[in-house]
Amino acid sequence: MKKYYIIARNTWDEMLTYRVSFVMWRVRNIIQLLTIYFLWQVILPPGKTILGYSQSLMLTYILGTSLIDSVVLSSRTYAVGDEINSGNLMNFLLRPINYFLYWFSKDIGDKAMNICFSIVELTLIFIILRPPFFLQTNHFYILFFIFSVILSLFMYFFLNFLLGLIGFWSPEVWAPRFIFITLLGFFAGSLFPLDILPKTIYEIMKFLPFTYLLYFPLEIYLGKLSFAEILSGLSISIFWTFAIYFIVKMIWQKGLKSYTAYGR
Amino acid sequence: MGSLKSLVSRKYETVKAVDNISFKINEGELVGFIGPNGAGKTTTLKCLSGLLYPTLGEISVLGFNPYSRKPEFLKQIALVMGQKNQLWWDLPPIDTFLLNKEIYGIENEKYNIVFEELTSLLDVKDILKVPVKKLSLGQRMKMELMASIIHTPKVLFLDEPTIGLDVLMQKKLREFIKEYNIRYKATIILTSHYMQDVEQLCKRVIIINFGKIIFDGQLSSLVDKYAPYKKIRIIFKEYADPKKLDKLGEIDTFQYPELILNVPNKKTNSTASAILKNFEVEDITIEDPQIEDVIAKVYTQK
Repeated sequence: MKKYYIIARNTWDEMLTYRVSFVMWRVRNIIQLLTIYFLWQVILPPGKTILGYSQSLMLTYILGTSLIDSVVLSSRTYAVGDEINSGNLMNFLLRPINYFLYWFSKDIGDKAMNICFSIVELTLIFIILRPPFFLQTNHFYILFFIFSVILSLFMYFFLNFLLGLIGFWSPEVWAPRFIFITLLGFFAGSLFPLDILPKTIYEIMKFLPFTYLLYFPLEIYLGKLSFAEILSGLSISIFWTFAIYFIVKMIWQKGLKSYTAYGR
Repeated sequence: MGSLKSLVSRKYETVKAVDNISFKINEGELVGFIGPNGAGKTTTLKCLSGLLYPTLGEISVLGFNPYSRKPEFLKQIALVMGQKNQLWWDLPPIDTFLLNKEIYGIENEKYNIVFEELTSLLDVKDILKVPVKKLSLGQRMKMELMASIIHTPKVLFLDEPTIGLDVLMQKKLREFIKEYNIRYKATIILTSHYMQDVEQLCKRVIIINFGKIIFDGQLSSLVDKYAPYKKIRIIFKEYADPKKLDKLGEIDTFQYPELILNVPNKKTNSTASAILKNFEVEDITIEDPQIEDVIAKVYTQK
């Protein structure tokens, strides 16, 4: 297992060599966060509610999505497609190492760095802006929240991996990814909570995996879901995580077979 | 229009990269695997290391079926390709070595010994802690090689290990490969476009072209088979009649005052003395044919 720890540590070291661009990336995140934050602060003055969201709930939602977005919904696996295309995948096939775990370890290193920065940033935001933060005290909600975040992490990892596997058949791995990112921006709920959408759309989205990446965990945290709703949501979420996992496994096996590596 | 058409209906053609080849390599052998571009060398190495699954036939390396890529098999082999990198670009090479130490499960003691040996053999002590991106091509190649063999593989596949290196570095790398072969009793299969690599390293060569083996044997017997002659190089003092020269042997090139003759091995002495007797000669030398020429001859034969 130590090998995977070293991969994570190497990834951490690697990020340190690009300190400036990493800090810039974080600055970009903060600016994005603040934009949405102030927007909602204006739309929702204290005491007013929109569709069941008070100001503190909404601002907590926005801060929460930002945190989960940068920690859970970040994955290094975007490079998988390029690696397949360049033929560098060979290096992994010929060493006793699990390619999935290799990338997962890289993600862990990446996330560790992002968590450190997020903590510093959010602390600063709390000190400076003093947002009316909603603190969940019910242990069950917190437990379910953590569980659904972990599911979300795996689901996102597999989804990204799946997109990378396109590299087995086509060099154009980026086009589908851009579409994915755009879809994600809307359907995952990073701009607004999904339940403010018309009911029919919201009902359909409940069955899509995207909903469970950001929106669902935060709804649990905010205590907006009933016990039954949490259970049904978790079931769908578990279903998708496993479904995507099996699809990835299958496509990976298929891809490997067609991966002749000839001339690459 | 052509690209548009290929988007709609693509035609696929099946090309046999390697066709019906078989050979056996013994433990500790250092074999040169040569052939022109696209002959099927790399394909064969990929089959042997387990990257490609042969549509037909059987492969056994160290008693394993390579394609299963079992960890016990992978721990005993390495495929080094001149143009593929495994080093972490932004980190010093030593970080990749330490990772490979864990990947291959090398014990501390053994790792330290091998690490020291490879460091001194390759003479890389001072660049171990320099980020890979700051290394020169030659330095990087050495580091790639070191990362690939830190687990001291029993079977080593080297695909163009000296590509893009300067003469001095090529020489050093060659010496290293030889030393590695002896010290670790490793079996090495090497492909190269530089005949020097093969000439100086390998007793046995396998020549492959159009996916087929056209020669398998000792390098010396290759010369005997395809070039059983010596080259006699003569510099004339005064003009010699080309008609007379014809009788001496097969004329390779003639550009007065220099003549190069291809003479069968047995007749070398008699021909040389005949020349000295009948012509005014400034200088005469007898040489073996260049290995490059012999190989070129083999390549062009079908």
